[in-house]
Amino acid sequence: MSRWRYFIRRLVLAVPVVFFAMSLVFIVIRMGPRDPVAAALGQNQNPELAHRMRVQLGIINPDGSPVPLWDQYIEFMVDLVTLSFGQTWVINRGAGVLDLILARAPVTIWLGFWSVLIALLIGIPLGFYAGLRPNSMPDYFASFSGIVWRAMPNFWLAIILSRFLVNTEGLSYDLIGVQLSWSAFLVETNVIGTPDLGNLGDPMALLAAIKWILPAAIVLGSASMGNEMRIGRTAVLETINSDYVETARAKGLGRRVIVWKHVFRNALIPLVPVISSEAFVLIGGSVLVEYVFALNGLGKLTFEAIRQGDLALAGALLFVFAIFLQVVNILQDLLYTVIDPRIGYEQS
Amino acid sequence: MSMYSTALIDRSEPPLLTVENLQTSFFTDKETIRAVDAISFDVHRGETVGIVGESGSGKSVTARSIMGLIDSPGRVVGGSVRFRDGDTVERLAEQYPDRTIDIEALRTEHDVADCIERLLDQGVSPARLTGREESRAGIDPVELVREDVVTMRSLVEDGFTDQLGITEEDAFVVRDTDGGYVDTTRASEDAFRKLRGQGIAMIFQDPLTSLNPVYTVGNQIKEAIRLHQGLRGNAAHEEAIRLLEAVSIPDAHRRVGEYPHEFSGGMRQRAVIAMALACKPELLICDEPTTALDVTIQAQILELLTEIQAERDLSIVFITHDMGVIAEISDQVNVMYAGELVEKAPVDELFDAPKHPYTQGLLESIPGRHPEDDRLRTIEGDVPTPNEQPTFCRFAPRCPEAFDACEAVHPENVDVSEDAQTHTAACLLYPEELSTADTVDRHRSLGETRDADRGDHDE
Repeated sequence: MSRWRYFIRRLVLAVPVVFFAMSLVFIVIRMGPRDPVAAALGQNQNPELAHRMRVQLGIINPDGSPVPLWDQYIEFMVDLVTLSFGQTWVINRGAGVLDLILARAPVTIWLGFWSVLIALLIGIPLGFYAGLRPNSMPDYFASFSGIVWRAMPNFWLAIILSRFLVNTEGLSYDLIGVQLSWSAFLVETNVIGTPDLGNLGDPMALLAAIKWILPAAIVLGSASMGNEMRIGRTAVLETINSDYVETARAKGLGRRVIVWKHVFRNALIPLVPVISSEAFVLIGGSVLVEYVFALNGLGKLTFEAIRQGDLALAGALLFVFAIFLQVVNILQDLLYTVIDPRIGYEQS
Repeated sequence: MSMYSTALIDRSEPPLLTVENLQTSFFTDKETIRAVDAISFDVHRGETVGIVGESGSGKSVTARSIMGLIDSPGRVVGGSVRFRDGDTVERLAEQYPDRTIDIEALRTEHDVADCIERLLDQGVSPARLTGREESRAGIDPVELVREDVVTMRSLVEDGFTDQLGITEEDAFVVRDTDGGYVDTTRASEDAFRKLRGQGIAMIFQDPLTSLNPVYTVGNQIKEAIRLHQGLRGNAAHEEAIRLLEAVSIPDAHRRVGEYPHEFSGGMRQRAVIAMALACKPELLICDEPTTALDVTIQAQILELLTEIQAERDLSIVFITHDMGVIAEISDQVNVMYAGELVEKAPVDELFDAPKHPYTQGLLESIPGRHPEDDRLRTIEGDVPTPNEQPTFCRFAPRCPEAFDACEAVHPENVDVSEDAQTHTAACLLYPEELSTADTVDRHRSLGETRDADRGDHDE
């Protein structure tokens, strides 16, 4: 089997996975204790209004008889596949779910992009650097900081970092007698709140948007950064002591060629799943980090949708996340097939 | 024996590779392991020298020391490895003019007899200078020079010129009228890289892991071709195919674009050999190249190596623990035990009349030697870790012939008998003409001289 056929098979396999995930979501939403109508209308509901809403939601027929769960399930799935997510009931009542998601997505994408980038651009080079100089001072420093970053839970770090950045003026005045303000640093930004991503083409606006998102991105990327550093270090150490690197040395290759050609590509292989598993951390973490930094993104939206019983919105968001995770998984497999020619061959 | 060996070896020429008193130690928190403890041997052009011994006897460390592949916590701590190849010397001398010793220039600048005088004044023992028993009073520098016992070359080789301060200690290229040599134990990592591959190439034990899994076989061969033959693009590609054909890989045109995991074990080892040949080496070090292969493939690889050797006049250092393989391929055999060389002889002599009890034990344990026995014969016990300066025989605890002196006197490499020119053993039983008391005395005094020399050398 060629690696491309393997990859296509992997693509096809993603469909039942999403299907299964959404079936689970349906069960949790429809069979859970939450009454969506009560969530929308509150305790003292108008019975007529409630009845109309139930019909609209497809829970009961107009004559008052309940719609069989099986029919509800089919409708739910068909709606997902056709991307007709309907309207929200609680948050921004009446707004289209899809419009709401599209409006909130940019901040989350911006946050995720920077947190992945920080983790990739700091974690992996630092890990590789440490792995190439094992048991040296730089290695101890990198390894130690990797453990520290990993050990700090993001909910804790988010609160500490936001408190710290809000109070930079007072803190710096107490410590060194000079008022240094994070908000006024380079460009005027807030610590808490949603950045304006309207015109990223303008350099100043871009700088402001980056500066604004950076603390949240660091919090979100911190654990992954530590992970990538540690795995990167181990991977490099393992590769550099392998037989083929010794063969390459015996051939008379220079250290630079050995490191860049023979070590890096092999050391990347164990890093691929670490990087892709960041996606999972990202979704869980964004819910939290967006809440602490008051970023109006998908994470915060998901949290609110679930808390307030906005089941249509919650279902749609979970669908988006399931698709996203599948895409990440497929990307991971694509990376594997690109980096490692052995993938896709049956090993006997 | 030596059934594959056909090359004629010219032993009057200076050897291509001289290993002298090579010492490599590994420094751990707990102890210092003397993995290679003062071993010496020569490799001539076109010759195959076998190094044999159990696991842990220091064979591979010897090979890696020659190649400069010893990594921390290991280090080559003494001795020299002299590689005499005219092209290599010229190449390196050009690149490292500051670290090259020109013996011709030294001869015009300094008088050898004068140097000897100064060395004697510094307290260097006459025996060490001349390599023979000599007293301080009876030595005449001018006489030594006239008889060619001591030359400028020998002074440089033994490191005396460094001691006198007329050569730099970090110089490793020595140029002489006959070509000179490169002392690899002193070469920098940078210079070593220029020596590796072209000059000395190496083949490792496990063909399954010694090719990089993420690049095609052709890619890895071309890498060596580009580096050592200067060919690029299509020319390099053609050369890679030619090399694969030279190591009898069928369908080389297709194979050159395949990945290592698409090759079988034997084919991979052939590809590794092709890669080594792409470097155009003078000396090939094979570190157990057939151990991971089954017997039929093993025979094919040995045959291939012999063919290649005959074609290219290649010198081979062949490391294995398999006595049968050694018998087939080598001309000269060195037996190692716990970091030391215990016996050295031409292959026929070693197999016909092994002298050291360890060699005898190794030969006894070849399967099939004693078909009447129910069980294979073995040497009881394990190879000890050589972690201290030997003042005794390291094999004594396992030796069937051991006697009291073995625990107290370190055996030195001596000729096994008075008329044996090429057969030495490090055992208190030899030379065999002498009585045990005399041999013990001889070994003790040889050891004392060596220790004394090592002492004044350390200062």
